[in-house]
Amino acid sequence: MPKALMDQHDVELAALAAAGGRREFGELVRRHGSAVRSLLRRMGAQGSEADDVAQDAFLQAFEKCAEFRGEGTFAAWVKRIAARLYLKRKAKDARYVAEIEPGEEDVAPARDQAGLVDLDEALKSLSETERLCVSLCHGAGLSHPEIAAAMNLPLGTVKSHVKRGLDKLRARLSPDAGQSGRSTHVG
Amino acid sequence: MSADEFDPMIERLFARSPQMADATLFAAEVETKLHSSSRVRTAALTVAGLIGGIIAVKESMNLNLHLSDSQAPVAGRVIGQGLQAASVNVQSAVGSGLSQLGLSDLTFGSMGAMQMFWIAAGALIAVAAAGVVRLSQDV
Repeated sequence: MPKALMDQHDVELAALAAAGGRREFGELVRRHGSAVRSLLRRMGAQGSEADDVAQDAFLQAFEKCAEFRGEGTFAAWVKRIAARLYLKRKAKDARYVAEIEPGEEDVAPARDQAGLVDLDEALKSLSETERLCVSLCHGAGLSHPEIAAAMNLPLGTVKSHVKRGLDKLRARLSPDAGQSGRSTHVG
Repeated sequence: MSADEFDPMIERLFARSPQMADATLFAAEVETKLHSSSRVRTAALTVAGLIGGIIAVKESMNLNLHLSDSQAPVAGRVIGQGLQAASVNVQSAVGSGLSQLGLSDLTFGSMGAMQMFWIAAGALIAVAAAGVVRLSQDV
């Protein structure tokens, strides 16, 4: 008796999807759709735009499913596809800012209603480019050179955006945020 | 908090994403798009196969097989005449079928027989590929 879809591992489902299994791929979308949509929102995409890009990313992933070898997680693989698709879409609309923009001084602690660390709220304090760079690096798992190539920015600029973005996040997310002003410990 | 402690924390925060309320609806939309794109592809392949098939049949009827050469042995000549007669019958049947479809004037300009043969062969391969795709989808 074949295993139920819910009991199957991502790699098994991806292999079946690569052979044309749309139901199996649907299960993968159910499992990882929210993660991909969240990443796109964290990158700065608005609700419906994030969902459109996420849908396109999953459709593209279905076409390329045979290329997924299970070396990383399926979610990470689709996130990379989605991130690149979003960057392509963004590149049509606007140029990325190559210079370092002046930072915001808002260091209010980012906590949700339950007092837990709220990454989504903290990301709002970053500039658009910083937000993109940090999300691509830590959310989509792209390396700095990959981000530089995808965004058509110099490598040094990408590193600066990531560092500056992380400094801002640290200031807002560290346990003592809001108590001792700016806490930008750089290790 | 140092960068060494903070970087893994950021990774963990990014990895943690809440299940969205409309996750099932989103998955259903993706599945619907998958089904519709598959239907469009199947329809396109079927149309290509049909057009290729019509061209192939039309052109194969026009091939001169030279099977009734007077130099050939008697048995060969008999087979050749039989094939030629069968060919003529099929040709007239296909011809009448095409004329009913309004395709009696289907001509292919100044293309040579070999070119048409390769086009027909390509069309047949397309039909076979469409069949394989359809089969793989069904399986």
